[in-house]
Amino acid sequence: MSYPRRLVGSALTIAEMEARKIRHDSTELWMRTVQPALWLLIFGEVFNNIRNLPIPGGFSYVQYIAPGVLAQSVLFVAIFYGITIVWERDVGLLTKLLSTPSPRLSLVVGKALAAGVRGIFQGVMIFALALIIGVNLRFDPLDVGGVFLVVVLFAMCFASLSMTLASFLKTRDRMMGIGQAITIPLFFGSNAIYPISLMPSWLQTVSAFNPLTYVVDAMRSMLLTGDYSGLPLDIAALLLSTAFFIASASVVLRRLIE
Amino acid sequence: MDAISFDVKEGEIFGLLGPNGAGKTTTIKVVTTLAKPTAGSVFVFGVDVTRFPERVRQMLGFVPQAISVDGDLTGYENLLIFAKLFFVDRDERKKRISEALEYFGLAERGDDLVKHYSGGMMRRLEIAQALVNRPKLLFLDEPSIGLDPYSRMQVIKQIKDLNRNFGTTIFVTTHDMMEADELCDRLAIMDRGKIAISGSPIELKKTVGGDVLTVSTTGALPDSIPKELGSVVSADQGTLKILTEDGEKAIPRVTDFLEERGVTVESVSLSRPTLDDVFMKYAKSGLQEGSFREARSARRSISRHGR
Repeated sequence: MSYPRRLVGSALTIAEMEARKIRHDSTELWMRTVQPALWLLIFGEVFNNIRNLPIPGGFSYVQYIAPGVLAQSVLFVAIFYGITIVWERDVGLLTKLLSTPSPRLSLVVGKALAAGVRGIFQGVMIFALALIIGVNLRFDPLDVGGVFLVVVLFAMCFASLSMTLASFLKTRDRMMGIGQAITIPLFFGSNAIYPISLMPSWLQTVSAFNPLTYVVDAMRSMLLTGDYSGLPLDIAALLLSTAFFIASASVVLRRLIE
Repeated sequence: MDAISFDVKEGEIFGLLGPNGAGKTTTIKVVTTLAKPTAGSVFVFGVDVTRFPERVRQMLGFVPQAISVDGDLTGYENLLIFAKLFFVDRDERKKRISEALEYFGLAERGDDLVKHYSGGMMRRLEIAQALVNRPKLLFLDEPSIGLDPYSRMQVIKQIKDLNRNFGTTIFVTTHDMMEADELCDRLAIMDRGKIAISGSPIELKKTVGGDVLTVSTTGALPDSIPKELGSVVSADQGTLKILTEDGEKAIPRVTDFLEERGVTVESVSLSRPTLDDVFMKYAKSGLQEGSFREARSARRSISRHGR
Protein backbone atom coordinates (compact mmCIF):
# COMPACT_ATOMS: atom_id res chain seq x y z
CA MET A 1 0.00 0.00 0.00
CA SER A 2 1.39 3.40 -0.94
CA TYR A 3 2.33 5.97 1.70
CA PRO A 4 -0.41 8.51 0.88
CA ARG A 5 -3.06 5.78 1.01
CA ARG A 6 -1.81 4.52 4.35
CA LEU A 7 -1.64 8.08 5.66
CA VAL A 8 -5.20 8.98 4.65
CA GLY A 9 -6.61 5.59 5.67
CA SER A 10 -5.05 5.71 9.13
CA ALA A 11 -5.97 9.34 9.74
CA LEU A 12 -9.59 8.52 8.91
CA THR A 13 -9.43 5.51 11.25
CA ILE A 14 -8.18 7.68 14.12
CA ALA A 15 -10.99 10.15 13.42
CA GLU A 16 -13.44 7.22 13.27
CA MET A 17 -12.21 6.09 16.68
CA GLU A 18 -13.15 9.50 18.10
CA ALA A 19 -16.48 9.54 16.31
CA ARG A 20 -17.36 6.13 17.76
CA LYS A 21 -16.54 7.33 21.26
CA ILE A 22 -18.77 10.36 20.79
CA ARG A 23 -21.55 8.08 19.58
CA HIS A 24 -21.32 6.02 22.78
CA ASP A 25 -21.36 9.07 25.00
CA SER A 26 -22.11 12.49 23.55
CA THR A 27 -22.68 14.23 26.89
CA GLU A 28 -19.45 16.18 26.62
CA LEU A 29 -20.36 17.44 23.16
CA TRP A 30 -23.68 18.83 24.36
CA MET A 31 -22.16 20.33 27.51
CA ARG A 32 -19.76 22.21 25.32
CA THR A 33 -22.63 24.03 23.61
CA VAL A 34 -23.76 25.55 26.90
CA GLN A 35 -21.00 28.11 27.10
CA PRO A 36 -21.42 29.62 23.61
CA ALA A 37 -25.19 29.59 24.14
CA LEU A 38 -24.74 31.67 27.30
CA TRP A 39 -22.48 34.11 25.44
CA LEU A 40 -25.17 34.65 22.81
CA LEU A 41 -28.24 34.54 25.04
CA ILE A 42 -27.03 36.47 28.06
CA PHE A 43 -23.89 38.43 27.25
CA GLY A 44 -25.07 39.18 23.72
CA GLU A 45 -28.60 40.17 24.70
CA VAL A 46 -27.45 42.45 27.55
CA PHE A 47 -24.79 44.21 25.51
CA ASN A 48 -27.24 44.53 22.66
CA ASN A 49 -28.85 47.29 24.73
CA ILE A 50 -25.73 49.44 24.67
CA ARG A 51 -26.48 51.62 21.70
CA ASN A 52 -23.24 53.51 21.27
CA LEU A 53 -20.86 50.58 20.64
CA PRO A 54 -18.94 51.49 17.47
CA ILE A 55 -19.83 48.35 15.52
CA PRO A 56 -18.88 48.67 11.86
CA GLY A 57 -21.57 48.09 9.25
CA GLY A 58 -24.53 48.88 11.50
CA PHE A 59 -25.01 45.33 12.77
CA SER A 60 -26.54 44.53 16.13
CA TYR A 61 -24.22 43.41 18.91
CA VAL A 62 -25.53 39.81 18.92
CA GLN A 63 -24.94 39.65 15.18
CA TYR A 64 -21.49 41.03 15.71
CA ILE A 65 -20.39 38.51 18.32
CA ALA A 66 -22.01 35.39 16.80
CA PRO A 67 -18.93 34.59 14.62
CA GLY A 68 -16.68 35.47 17.57
CA VAL A 69 -18.52 33.10 19.88
CA LEU A 70 -18.30 30.34 17.27
CA ALA A 71 -14.55 30.86 16.90
CA GLN A 72 -14.10 30.90 20.67
CA SER A 73 -16.02 27.66 21.19
CA VAL A 74 -13.99 25.92 18.48
CA LEU A 75 -10.81 27.19 20.13
CA PHE A 76 -11.89 25.70 23.47
CA VAL A 77 -12.70 22.34 21.84
CA ALA A 78 -9.37 22.22 20.00
CA ILE A 79 -7.10 23.22 22.86
CA PHE A 80 -8.54 20.28 24.80
CA TYR A 81 -6.78 17.78 22.51
CA GLY A 82 -3.43 18.15 24.24
CA ILE A 83 -5.05 16.98 27.47
CA THR A 84 -6.68 14.05 25.66
CA ILE A 85 -3.39 12.89 24.21
CA VAL A 86 -1.67 13.08 27.61
CA TRP A 87 -4.54 11.06 29.07
CA GLU A 88 -4.13 8.48 26.30
CA ARG A 89 -0.43 8.32 27.10
CA ASP A 90 -1.25 7.77 30.79
CA VAL A 91 -3.52 4.80 30.05
CA GLY A 92 -1.03 3.30 27.60
CA LEU A 93 -3.18 3.85 24.53
CA LEU A 94 -0.68 6.18 22.90
CA THR A 95 2.09 3.59 23.14
CA LYS A 96 -0.19 1.13 21.44
CA LEU A 97 -1.16 3.60 18.71
CA LEU A 98 2.49 4.40 18.09
CA SER A 99 3.36 0.70 17.86
CA THR A 100 1.07 0.23 14.85
CA PRO A 101 2.57 0.47 11.37
CA SER A 102 0.47 3.58 10.70
CA PRO A 103 2.54 6.69 9.99
CA ARG A 104 2.96 9.01 13.01
CA LEU A 105 1.71 11.88 10.90
CA SER A 106 -1.62 10.12 10.44
CA LEU A 107 -2.16 9.98 14.20
CA VAL A 108 -1.85 13.75 14.46
CA VAL A 109 -3.91 14.43 11.33
CA GLY A 110 -6.60 12.02 12.58
CA LYS A 111 -6.85 13.67 15.98
CA ALA A 112 -6.89 17.10 14.35
CA LEU A 113 -9.66 15.97 11.99
CA ALA A 114 -11.65 14.75 14.99
CA ALA A 115 -11.27 18.19 16.54
CA GLY A 116 -12.61 19.58 13.25
CA VAL A 117 -15.67 17.33 13.45
CA ARG A 118 -16.36 18.52 16.98
CA GLY A 119 -15.93 22.08 15.71
CA ILE A 120 -18.54 21.49 13.02
CA PHE A 121 -20.95 20.27 15.68
CA GLN A 122 -20.36 23.51 17.60
CA GLY A 123 -21.03 25.44 14.40
CA VAL A 124 -24.29 23.64 13.70
CA MET A 125 -25.49 24.23 17.26
CA ILE A 126 -24.60 27.93 17.21
CA PHE A 127 -26.26 28.42 13.82
CA ALA A 128 -29.36 26.64 15.11
CA LEU A 129 -29.42 28.86 18.18
CA ALA A 130 -28.94 31.96 16.03
CA LEU A 131 -31.94 30.94 13.92
CA ILE A 132 -34.07 30.31 17.00
CA ILE A 133 -33.33 33.61 18.72
CA GLY A 134 -33.56 35.47 15.42
CA VAL A 135 -29.97 36.57 14.91
CA ASN A 136 -29.79 37.59 11.31
CA LEU A 137 -26.79 35.98 9.57
CA ARG A 138 -26.16 35.39 5.86
CA PHE A 139 -27.14 31.74 5.61
CA ASP A 140 -25.96 31.41 2.03
CA PRO A 141 -24.89 27.76 1.42
CA LEU A 142 -21.50 28.80 0.07
CA ASP A 143 -20.86 31.10 3.00
CA VAL A 144 -21.90 28.46 5.53
CA GLY A 145 -19.68 25.93 3.74
CA GLY A 146 -16.82 28.42 3.84
CA VAL A 147 -17.36 28.99 7.55
CA PHE A 148 -17.24 25.23 8.18
CA LEU A 149 -14.00 25.02 6.21
CA VAL A 150 -12.50 27.74 8.39
CA VAL A 151 -13.85 25.98 11.50
CA VAL A 152 -12.19 22.68 10.51
CA LEU A 153 -8.86 24.33 9.66
CA PHE A 154 -8.90 26.39 12.84
CA ALA A 155 -9.72 23.35 15.01
CA MET A 156 -6.98 21.30 13.29
CA CYS A 157 -4.50 24.12 13.80
CA PHE A 158 -5.07 24.52 17.53
CA ALA A 159 -5.51 20.79 18.22
CA SER A 160 -2.04 20.23 16.71
CA LEU A 161 -0.63 23.20 18.60
CA SER A 162 -2.06 21.71 21.76
CA MET A 163 -0.57 18.27 20.98
CA THR A 164 2.80 19.91 20.30
CA LEU A 165 2.67 21.63 23.69
CA ALA A 166 1.59 18.39 25.36
CA SER A 167 4.71 16.68 24.01
CA PHE A 168 6.82 19.13 25.99
CA LEU A 169 4.68 19.63 29.09
CA LYS A 170 3.76 15.94 29.46
CA THR A 171 1.23 16.15 32.33
CA ARG A 172 -2.48 16.78 32.38
CA ASP A 173 -2.26 19.41 35.14
CA ARG A 174 0.20 21.50 33.20
CA MET A 175 -1.92 21.17 30.06
CA MET A 176 -5.01 22.38 31.94
CA GLY A 177 -3.02 25.38 33.10
CA ILE A 178 -1.57 26.20 29.71
CA GLY A 179 -4.99 25.72 28.09
CA GLN A 180 -6.41 28.49 30.25
CA ALA A 181 -3.33 30.62 29.79
CA ILE A 182 -3.66 30.41 26.01
CA THR A 183 -7.38 30.58 25.36
CA ILE A 184 -8.38 33.48 27.60
CA PRO A 185 -5.76 36.00 26.35
CA LEU A 186 -6.38 34.92 22.74
CA PHE A 187 -10.11 35.46 23.22
CA PHE A 188 -9.95 38.86 24.93
CA GLY A 189 -7.06 40.00 22.79
CA SER A 190 -9.05 39.48 19.59
CA ASN A 191 -11.93 41.08 17.75
CA ALA A 192 -14.28 38.29 18.89
CA ILE A 193 -16.53 40.31 21.24
CA TYR A 194 -15.52 43.92 20.61
CA PRO A 195 -14.09 45.89 17.71
CA ILE A 196 -10.34 46.38 17.68
CA SER A 197 -10.89 50.13 17.51
CA LEU A 198 -12.04 50.06 21.15
CA MET A 199 -8.74 48.55 22.37
CA PRO A 200 -5.82 50.51 23.81
CA SER A 201 -3.16 50.84 21.16
CA TRP A 202 -0.75 48.23 22.64
CA LEU A 203 -3.56 45.64 22.60
CA GLN A 204 -4.38 46.59 19.00
CA THR A 205 -0.82 45.66 18.09
CA VAL A 206 -1.10 42.36 19.94
CA SER A 207 -4.38 41.49 18.27
CA ALA A 208 -2.83 41.99 14.84
CA PHE A 209 -0.66 38.94 15.64
CA ASN A 210 -3.52 36.97 17.15
CA PRO A 211 -4.65 34.12 14.88
CA LEU A 212 -8.13 34.27 16.40
CA THR A 213 -8.52 37.79 14.97
CA TYR A 214 -8.04 36.44 11.44
CA VAL A 215 -10.39 33.53 12.00
CA VAL A 216 -13.12 35.79 13.37
CA ASP A 217 -12.49 38.22 10.54
CA ALA A 218 -12.91 35.45 7.96
CA MET A 219 -16.10 34.20 9.58
CA ARG A 220 -17.53 37.69 9.92
CA SER A 221 -16.89 38.46 6.26
CA MET A 222 -18.87 35.36 5.27
CA LEU A 223 -21.65 35.55 7.87
CA LEU A 224 -22.19 39.31 8.08
CA THR A 225 -20.57 41.66 5.61
CA GLY A 226 -20.15 39.62 2.44
CA ASP A 227 -16.91 41.50 1.87
CA TYR A 228 -14.40 38.81 0.87
CA SER A 229 -11.41 41.07 0.26
CA GLY A 230 -9.55 39.92 3.39
CA LEU A 231 -10.49 36.26 2.99
CA PRO A 232 -7.54 34.99 0.89
CA LEU A 233 -5.04 36.33 3.42
CA ASP A 234 -7.03 34.91 6.36
CA ILE A 235 -7.25 31.44 4.85
CA ALA A 236 -3.65 31.41 3.63
CA ALA A 237 -2.43 32.31 7.12
CA LEU A 238 -4.64 29.62 8.62
CA LEU A 239 -3.52 26.93 6.14
CA LEU A 240 0.12 27.74 6.74
CA SER A 241 -0.08 27.60 10.53
CA THR A 242 -2.18 24.40 10.42
CA ALA A 243 0.42 22.68 8.26
CA PHE A 244 3.18 23.93 10.53
CA PHE A 245 1.60 22.72 13.77
CA ILE A 246 0.57 19.33 12.31
CA ALA A 247 4.15 18.80 11.19
CA SER A 248 5.61 19.91 14.51
CA ALA A 249 3.21 17.73 16.53
CA SER A 250 4.02 14.62 14.51
CA VAL A 251 7.74 15.18 14.95
CA VAL A 252 7.68 15.76 18.72
CA LEU A 253 4.82 13.46 19.70
CA ARG A 254 7.15 10.56 20.52
CA ARG A 255 8.58 12.63 23.38
CA LEU A 256 5.41 11.78 25.28
CA ILE A 257 6.29 8.09 25.54
CA GLU A 258 10.01 8.48 26.12
CA MET B 1 21.55 -0.14 29.02
CA ASP B 2 24.70 -1.90 27.87
CA ALA B 3 25.24 -3.77 24.67
CA ILE B 4 23.10 -6.90 24.78
CA SER B 5 22.77 -9.61 22.23
CA PHE B 6 20.29 -12.42 21.87
CA ASP B 7 18.35 -14.22 19.18
CA VAL B 8 14.75 -15.27 19.33
CA LYS B 9 14.00 -18.29 17.16
CA GLU B 10 10.97 -18.35 14.90
CA GLY B 11 8.01 -20.15 16.45
CA GLU B 12 9.25 -20.23 20.03
CA ILE B 13 8.15 -18.55 23.24
CA PHE B 14 11.08 -16.54 24.49
CA GLY B 15 11.12 -15.07 27.99
CA LEU B 16 13.14 -12.12 29.19
CA LEU B 17 13.40 -12.06 32.97
CA GLY B 18 15.03 -9.62 35.29
CA PRO B 19 14.47 -7.28 38.19
CA ASN B 20 13.01 -3.84 37.68
CA GLY B 21 15.33 -1.39 36.07
CA ALA B 22 17.21 -4.25 34.43
CA GLY B 23 16.23 -2.90 31.02
CA LYS B 24 13.51 -5.30 29.87
CA THR B 25 10.98 -2.65 28.91
CA THR B 26 13.68 -0.57 27.24
CA THR B 27 14.69 -3.62 25.20
CA ILE B 28 11.11 -4.07 24.04
CA LYS B 29 10.82 -0.37 23.23
CA VAL B 30 13.90 -0.52 21.02
CA VAL B 31 12.77 -3.63 19.17
CA THR B 32 9.25 -2.26 18.65
CA THR B 33 10.81 0.99 17.31
CA LEU B 34 9.27 3.08 20.11
CA ALA B 35 12.74 4.13 21.24
CA LYS B 36 15.89 4.55 19.19
CA PRO B 37 19.00 2.57 20.13
CA THR B 38 21.94 4.85 20.90
CA ALA B 39 24.28 2.38 19.24
CA GLY B 40 24.22 -1.05 17.64
CA SER B 41 21.58 -2.58 15.48
CA VAL B 42 18.42 -4.63 15.87
CA PHE B 43 16.91 -6.77 13.15
CA VAL B 44 13.40 -8.17 13.12
CA PHE B 45 13.13 -11.00 10.59
CA GLY B 46 16.04 -9.40 8.81
CA VAL B 47 14.62 -5.86 8.76
CA ASP B 48 16.60 -3.07 10.44
CA VAL B 49 14.45 -1.31 13.09
CA THR B 50 16.12 2.07 12.70
CA ARG B 51 15.93 2.15 8.93
CA PHE B 52 12.46 0.74 8.30
CA PRO B 53 10.46 1.27 11.51
CA GLU B 54 7.06 1.08 9.80
CA ARG B 55 7.91 -2.19 8.06
CA VAL B 56 9.08 -3.62 11.36
CA ARG B 57 5.94 -2.50 13.21
CA GLN B 58 3.85 -4.18 10.52
CA MET B 59 5.27 -7.53 11.63
CA LEU B 60 4.90 -6.95 15.35
CA GLY B 61 2.18 -7.08 17.94
CA PHE B 62 2.70 -5.33 21.25
CA VAL B 63 0.84 -5.77 24.51
CA PRO B 64 2.28 -3.17 26.88
CA GLN B 65 2.60 -3.63 30.62
CA ALA B 66 -0.23 -1.28 31.53
CA ILE B 67 -3.63 -2.35 30.18
CA SER B 68 -4.01 -0.29 27.05
CA VAL B 69 -7.38 -1.07 25.58
CA ASP B 70 -9.73 1.84 25.01
CA GLY B 71 -12.42 1.73 27.70
CA ASP B 72 -14.73 4.08 25.79
CA LEU B 73 -15.05 1.71 22.84
CA THR B 74 -16.61 -1.74 22.68
CA GLY B 75 -14.49 -4.87 22.48
CA TYR B 76 -15.41 -5.27 18.82
CA GLU B 77 -14.50 -1.65 18.06
CA ASN B 78 -11.14 -1.96 19.78
CA LEU B 79 -10.26 -4.88 17.54
CA LEU B 80 -11.67 -3.15 14.46
CA ILE B 81 -9.75 0.11 14.90
CA PHE B 82 -6.44 -1.62 15.50
CA ALA B 83 -7.07 -4.01 12.61
CA LYS B 84 -7.48 -0.97 10.38
CA LEU B 85 -4.35 0.66 11.76
CA PHE B 86 -2.49 -2.56 10.92
CA PHE B 87 -3.95 -2.54 7.40
CA VAL B 88 -5.64 -5.91 7.77
CA ASP B 89 -7.47 -6.72 4.57
CA ARG B 90 -11.04 -5.40 4.54
CA ASP B 91 -12.51 -8.78 3.52
CA GLU B 92 -10.59 -10.63 6.22
CA ARG B 93 -11.27 -8.14 9.01
CA LYS B 94 -14.79 -9.02 10.07
CA LYS B 95 -14.20 -12.75 9.97
CA ARG B 96 -11.00 -12.59 11.99
CA ILE B 97 -12.51 -10.26 14.62
CA SER B 98 -15.47 -12.52 15.32
CA GLU B 99 -13.15 -15.54 15.36
CA ALA B 100 -10.83 -13.81 17.84
CA LEU B 101 -13.67 -12.77 20.14
CA GLU B 102 -15.01 -16.32 20.03
CA TYR B 103 -11.60 -17.88 20.64
CA PHE B 104 -10.88 -15.70 23.67
CA GLY B 105 -14.33 -16.17 25.19
CA LEU B 106 -15.38 -12.57 24.62
CA ALA B 107 -18.02 -13.07 21.92
CA GLU B 108 -20.97 -12.40 24.22
CA ARG B 109 -19.43 -9.18 25.54
CA GLY B 110 -18.16 -7.95 22.18
CA ASP B 111 -20.66 -5.11 21.97
CA ASP B 112 -20.16 -3.93 25.55
CA LEU B 113 -17.97 -0.97 26.37
CA VAL B 114 -14.57 -2.22 27.49
CA LYS B 115 -14.61 -0.10 30.66
CA HIS B 116 -17.17 -2.54 32.02
CA TYR B 117 -14.82 -5.52 31.46
CA SER B 118 -12.78 -7.18 34.23
CA GLY B 119 -8.99 -6.84 34.23
CA GLY B 120 -8.58 -10.37 32.89
CA MET B 121 -11.01 -9.74 30.06
CA MET B 122 -9.17 -6.56 29.07
CA ARG B 123 -5.91 -8.51 28.92
CA ARG B 124 -7.50 -11.21 26.81
CA LEU B 125 -8.91 -8.59 24.47
CA GLU B 126 -5.41 -7.21 24.01
CA ILE B 127 -4.04 -10.63 23.21
CA ALA B 128 -7.01 -11.29 20.91
CA GLN B 129 -5.74 -8.42 18.80
CA ALA B 130 -2.86 -10.67 17.80
CA LEU B 131 -5.32 -13.11 16.30
CA VAL B 132 -6.78 -10.35 14.13
CA ASN B 133 -3.53 -8.72 13.04
CA ARG B 134 -1.55 -12.00 12.86
CA PRO B 135 1.86 -10.49 13.74
CA LYS B 136 4.87 -12.69 13.12
CA LEU B 137 6.24 -11.70 16.51
CA LEU B 138 4.14 -10.77 19.54
CA PHE B 139 5.58 -8.83 22.48
CA LEU B 140 3.97 -9.20 25.86
CA ASP B 141 5.33 -7.00 28.64
CA GLU B 142 4.34 -8.53 32.00
CA PRO B 143 1.12 -10.02 30.62
CA SER B 144 -0.27 -11.46 33.85
CA ILE B 145 0.68 -8.73 36.30
CA GLY B 146 -2.17 -7.55 38.52
CA LEU B 147 -4.48 -10.42 37.53
CA ASP B 148 -6.14 -12.89 39.89
CA PRO B 149 -4.86 -16.51 39.73
CA TYR B 150 -7.75 -17.71 37.56
CA SER B 151 -7.42 -14.93 34.98
CA ARG B 152 -3.68 -15.43 35.07
CA MET B 153 -4.07 -19.11 34.22
CA GLN B 154 -6.41 -18.31 31.35
CA VAL B 155 -4.04 -15.70 29.95
CA ILE B 156 -1.09 -18.10 30.11
CA LYS B 157 -3.10 -20.85 28.43
CA GLN B 158 -4.17 -18.52 25.65
CA ILE B 159 -0.65 -17.29 25.03
CA LYS B 160 0.42 -20.92 24.69
CA ASP B 161 -2.45 -21.71 22.34
CA LEU B 162 -1.62 -18.70 20.20
CA ASN B 163 1.92 -19.99 19.87
CA ARG B 164 0.97 -23.60 19.24
CA ASN B 165 -2.06 -23.19 16.98
CA PHE B 166 -1.06 -20.13 15.00
CA GLY B 167 2.73 -20.40 15.07
CA THR B 168 3.11 -16.89 16.48
CA THR B 169 6.59 -16.26 17.82
CA ILE B 170 6.20 -14.81 21.30
CA PHE B 171 8.49 -12.60 23.33
CA VAL B 172 7.43 -12.21 26.92
CA THR B 173 8.85 -10.40 29.94
CA THR B 174 7.87 -11.41 33.44
CA HIS B 175 8.84 -11.45 37.10
CA ASP B 176 6.89 -14.59 37.76
CA MET B 177 9.28 -17.54 37.62
CA MET B 178 6.53 -20.17 37.74
CA GLU B 179 4.95 -18.49 34.76
CA ALA B 180 8.26 -18.29 32.91
CA ASP B 181 8.92 -21.97 33.57
CA GLU B 182 5.48 -22.96 32.36
CA LEU B 183 5.43 -20.70 29.32
CA CYS B 184 8.87 -20.30 27.82
CA ASP B 185 10.83 -22.55 25.49
CA ARG B 186 13.90 -20.47 26.11
CA LEU B 187 14.68 -17.56 28.35
CA ALA B 188 17.28 -14.99 29.21
CA ILE B 189 17.88 -13.30 32.53
CA MET B 190 18.81 -9.66 32.43
CA ASP B 191 20.52 -7.76 35.18
CA ARG B 192 21.68 -4.15 35.19
CA GLY B 193 21.38 -3.75 31.46
CA LYS B 194 23.16 -7.00 30.57
CA ILE B 195 22.13 -10.53 29.71
CA ALA B 196 23.32 -12.58 32.69
CA ILE B 197 22.49 -16.00 31.25
CA SER B 198 20.21 -17.60 28.67
CA GLY B 199 18.97 -21.08 27.78
CA SER B 200 16.01 -23.39 28.19
CA PRO B 201 14.42 -23.57 31.68
CA ILE B 202 15.91 -27.06 32.18
CA GLU B 203 19.40 -25.94 31.18
CA LEU B 204 19.21 -22.93 33.46
CA LYS B 205 18.03 -24.97 36.41
CA LYS B 206 20.98 -27.31 35.93
CA THR B 207 23.35 -24.40 36.46
CA VAL B 208 22.22 -24.03 40.05
CA GLY B 209 22.67 -27.76 40.80
CA GLY B 210 20.58 -30.88 40.28
CA ASP B 211 17.81 -32.51 42.29
CA VAL B 212 18.38 -33.22 45.95
CA LEU B 213 16.87 -36.32 47.65
CA THR B 214 16.52 -36.23 51.43
CA VAL B 215 16.12 -39.82 52.76
CA SER B 216 15.15 -40.55 56.37
CA THR B 217 16.23 -44.04 57.49
CA THR B 218 16.68 -46.31 60.48
CA GLY B 219 19.70 -48.60 60.52
CA ALA B 220 23.34 -48.26 59.65
CA LEU B 221 23.99 -46.21 56.55
CA PRO B 222 26.30 -47.61 53.87
CA ASP B 223 29.67 -45.93 53.41
CA SER B 224 29.03 -45.02 49.82
CA ILE B 225 26.42 -45.32 47.06
CA PRO B 226 26.95 -46.22 43.40
CA LYS B 227 27.84 -43.31 41.15
CA GLU B 228 24.86 -43.75 38.83
CA LEU B 229 22.49 -43.06 41.74
CA GLY B 230 24.12 -39.75 42.51
CA SER B 231 26.54 -38.42 45.10
CA VAL B 232 26.09 -38.12 48.84
CA VAL B 233 26.03 -34.55 50.04
CA SER B 234 25.68 -35.36 53.71
CA ALA B 235 24.92 -38.36 55.91
CA ASP B 236 23.92 -37.47 59.42
CA GLN B 237 21.87 -39.30 62.10
CA GLY B 238 19.93 -41.43 59.66
CA THR B 239 19.31 -38.59 57.22
CA LEU B 240 20.96 -38.95 53.87
CA LYS B 241 21.16 -36.15 51.32
CA ILE B 242 21.85 -37.20 47.73
CA LEU B 243 22.49 -34.94 44.76
CA THR B 244 21.23 -36.52 41.56
CA GLU B 245 20.41 -35.77 37.92
CA ASP B 246 16.79 -36.82 37.78
CA GLY B 247 15.27 -36.99 41.24
CA GLU B 248 12.02 -38.72 40.36
CA LYS B 249 13.75 -41.68 38.69
CA ALA B 250 16.33 -41.91 41.46
CA ILE B 251 13.75 -42.33 44.27
CA PRO B 252 12.85 -46.02 43.68
CA ARG B 253 16.45 -46.95 42.85
CA VAL B 254 17.88 -45.34 45.98
CA THR B 255 15.12 -46.94 48.08
CA ASP B 256 15.84 -50.40 46.60
CA PHE B 257 19.58 -49.98 47.10
CA LEU B 258 19.18 -49.07 50.78
CA GLU B 259 16.55 -51.73 51.60
CA GLU B 260 18.77 -54.41 50.00
CA ARG B 261 21.43 -53.46 52.54
CA GLY B 262 19.03 -53.77 55.47
CA VAL B 263 18.33 -50.04 55.85
CA THR B 264 14.66 -49.19 56.41
CA VAL B 265 13.58 -46.15 54.42
CA GLU B 266 10.97 -44.11 56.33
CA SER B 267 10.48 -41.18 53.98
CA VAL B 268 11.99 -39.63 50.88
CA SER B 269 11.57 -36.02 49.85
CA LEU B 270 12.70 -34.46 46.62
CA SER B 271 13.61 -30.84 46.13
CA ARG B 272 14.35 -29.53 42.69
CA PRO B 273 15.86 -26.20 41.82
CA THR B 274 13.32 -23.70 40.53
CA LEU B 275 13.77 -20.75 38.25
CA ASP B 276 13.57 -18.72 41.46
CA ASP B 277 16.94 -20.21 42.43
CA VAL B 278 18.30 -19.40 38.98
CA PHE B 279 16.97 -15.90 39.25
CA MET B 280 18.44 -15.31 42.69
CA LYS B 281 21.79 -16.49 41.43
CA TYR B 282 21.97 -14.29 38.33
CA ALA B 283 19.87 -11.22 39.09
CA LYS B 284 20.59 -9.68 42.41
CA SER B 285 19.46 -6.07 42.11
CA GLY B 286 16.36 -5.86 44.29
CA LEU B 287 13.51 -7.79 42.69
CA GLN B 288 11.10 -7.56 45.61
CA GLU B 289 10.57 -3.87 45.93
CA GLY B 290 10.23 -3.40 42.21
CA SER B 291 7.70 -6.11 41.59
CA PHE B 292 5.36 -4.69 44.21
CA ARG B 293 5.56 -1.27 42.72
CA GLU B 294 4.84 -2.59 39.27
CA ALA B 295 1.91 -4.72 40.39
CA ARG B 296 0.44 -1.67 42.03
CA SER B 297 0.72 0.45 38.94
CA ALA B 298 -0.86 -2.27 36.80
CA ARG B 299 -3.75 -2.52 39.22
CA ARG B 300 -4.15 1.23 39.06
CA SER B 301 -4.27 1.12 35.31
CA ILE B 302 -6.98 -1.51 35.41
CA SER B 303 -9.09 0.53 37.79
CA ARG B 304 -8.59 3.60 35.64
CA HIS B 305 -10.06 1.79 32.68
CA GLY B 306 -13.00 0.59 34.71
CA ARG B 307 -13.89 4.13 35.76
